[in-house]
Amino acid sequence: MTNFHPDLELITEYAAGSLSLAQGACVSIHVNQCRRCQRIAGQLTDLGASLFEALEPAPVGDAQLNAVLARLDDEKPLEYAHSKSSASSTPAILQRLMRGDFSDLNWRNIGSALRISYLKTGDPDHEFALYHIRAGGRIPEHTHRGTEMTLILEGGFSDANGSYHKGDFLIRRPGDVHAPTALQSEDCICLAVLDAPLRFTDWKFRWMNPFLKLRTV
Amino acid sequence: MHIVTDTIDGEDTPLIDADGKRIDEWSECLTLIAQKQDRAAFTRLFRHFAPLMKAFALSGSTLSANHADELVQEVMLKVWQKAGAFNAEKAAASTWIYTIARNCRTDLYRRLQKFDTPLSAEDVSDSQESEEAFVVLHQKRSRERIRGLIKELPNDQAQILAKVYMEGKTHSEVSGELDLPLGTVKSRVRLALQKLQIQLER
Repeated sequence: MTNFHPDLELITEYAAGSLSLAQGACVSIHVNQCRRCQRIAGQLTDLGASLFEALEPAPVGDAQLNAVLARLDDEKPLEYAHSKSSASSTPAILQRLMRGDFSDLNWRNIGSALRISYLKTGDPDHEFALYHIRAGGRIPEHTHRGTEMTLILEGGFSDANGSYHKGDFLIRRPGDVHAPTALQSEDCICLAVLDAPLRFTDWKFRWMNPFLKLRTV
Repeated sequence: MHIVTDTIDGEDTPLIDADGKRIDEWSECLTLIAQKQDRAAFTRLFRHFAPLMKAFALSGSTLSANHADELVQEVMLKVWQKAGAFNAEKAAASTWIYTIARNCRTDLYRRLQKFDTPLSAEDVSDSQESEEAFVVLHQKRSRERIRGLIKELPNDQAQILAKVYMEGKTHSEVSGELDLPLGTVKSRVRLALQKLQIQLER
């Protein structure tokens, strides 16, 4: 059961299509797994449709209609099977970005407990990365210069504020400091979307700070 | 509004509300396109929705008139191609069409900005329709309610919703543009959603 969700304003931006590609992808993975957020996203999309229908119509001439009608023969209606999505537990967006399994990715080790794999979404302003934390492993204490979205894909972790499990969605704002520790029972894999590099406050890792750049791949 | 029948049993069963009035001409059009590739139905949809799509394209303000026309054509062709995926029992035609327009506009923005991405806006939107009857009913009631209440929103709240939805701006972009603190923008959104009775379940 998921306990941490994107807030209503964030789901509004998501439903309006105004979120950046990487942030939208992260929210989308949560929403598609969470009935509660899916329902609210549905209502917020209906709201968009009501605003859309209330727009002052802009004139479209018959030439445009005829141009589209002329193209209908080339654009055959698609067949839909109305099938449910595949049984795979890896979200479809990630499957597309990873082109394989978690084990096929290029992982970069940061200390002994953490490894990171950067995925290319095409969003020039956001880093989109998978974090793999070994069971019981701790991420060195760090702070955020920007906004960080985290979505737990496997396992879970805890920090000074609480503990989080598969499906939970968290958002950290600039200045939030934390040192997440993976649950003892299993490895944790999470997705993190950043708009500014993080900064280690743990003295053993501070030397890395000048090298931490936002990696959009 | 009390809805007497909202299912399509045979292809010609009209959707009727309590007053015996047809309530969803657009669902019928989509169904006719899907089942019979009906061009007359497509033309009716076009005449109603294409001017809204053009207005929607131009609200984003960064699109030229040519790109707006291109977008209208692209969205209408998608409506034609994808009509078979529309399920009148689960979705409202206007929401379904709006979603296609929203996704196409986002993709067009990204193409114009030369994004190199394997993801389309459709990949990143929520695709799943609920299978549960009570959820579908709940959604339908909420839709009618939103439609009614939206006209009663105060201007300052309606303005912000229009910027977020029709202009596709984030709350922080709206805050910069209107020279309002981000907190004010967010609280207006929250107040508007309260008025529309859109809220998270506990």
